Amino acid sequence: MAGNQENEIDQALILRMGQGDEEALRDFIVRYQDRVYGTVAKMIGNTGPDVEDLAQQVFLRIWKAAPRHRAEAKISTWVMTVTRNLVFTFCTSRGSRREVSDVVLDQDTEEVRERRGPITERSPREDLSGKELVHAVQLACAHLPMKQRLVVHLRQHEELEFAEIGEILGISELGAKSLMFRARENLKIKLSEFFTEPS
Amino acid sequence: MKRESRGDESVEGLGPELGKLWDSAPVPKAPPWFAARTLARIRREESRGGVWFGLPKWVLIGVGAAVLAMGWLRWDREPAVGDAEVFAALDAMVEEERENRWWAGL
Repeated sequence: MAGNQENEIDQALILRMGQGDEEALRDFIVRYQDRVYGTVAKMIGNTGPDVEDLAQQVFLRIWKAAPRHRAEAKISTWVMTVTRNLVFTFCTSRGSRREVSDVVLDQDTEEVRERRGPITERSPREDLSGKELVHAVQLACAHLPMKQRLVVHLRQHEELEFAEIGEILGISELGAKSLMFRARENLKIKLSEFFTEPS
Repeated sequence: MKRESRGDESVEGLGPELGKLWDSAPVPKAPPWFAARTLARIRREESRGGVWFGLPKWVLIGVGAAVLAMGWLRWDREPAVGDAEVFAALDAMVEEERENRWWAGL
């Protein structure tokens, strides 16, 4: 029910935005900025100017499309779909090389060159500082293919249902579940040295 | 649409331990200036929307359309050369030929 109420508020804001109301646009940005910014940052793997630029483009597109928007899909699904489109286009145009924090990653070969030393030299989980653990998780996240990364993010952080994740990715609910399964298996391999859960 | 439980593998999450590991890398939040900057950018783009190269969009579209129309109209037009001009040109050629022959001693 809370979701419906939220959507009604969003719909009202979009309606006002469609009439050129900048106050509604400001409210809409404030409502969604953390989700959009966080998703973009998680997907492209940094917090630099690219993240801000892409996140701004999401709101720019929504502002431009607001007059033509029909209340068919949930607004949050629409926002995430626009975010996905921009992020995927950005990642494709950026090419196969991605930079993730202090890790240079080659997507084709999945070869990782770290500037701080190889990951295998990291101490056991108990001895890991929070920073190292974060680094290892970021590295594992960067290794995931784009769609798998987005599914995990939307499920884990945004806490969306698979049906909605499927809608955002333009695939079926089953397809989204399958991506999640593959992401989980990949993460288990990448983070095997840090967790003791039986597979 | 928020789920009741999170990180539980039985409901197709990451599993409790993997989920905890994943959550240890925080998701960045938008900086405090983000909304203001985004609004400023949208306003800027809006005001620039009707202008290309410093001229209103419709002026450039009008000029472009006029050039295309002129080109299209002139494309199929027969060259208009009057009879007098043709005969004058022929006379000049004959005269030149005659002069050449005289110089050659023919």
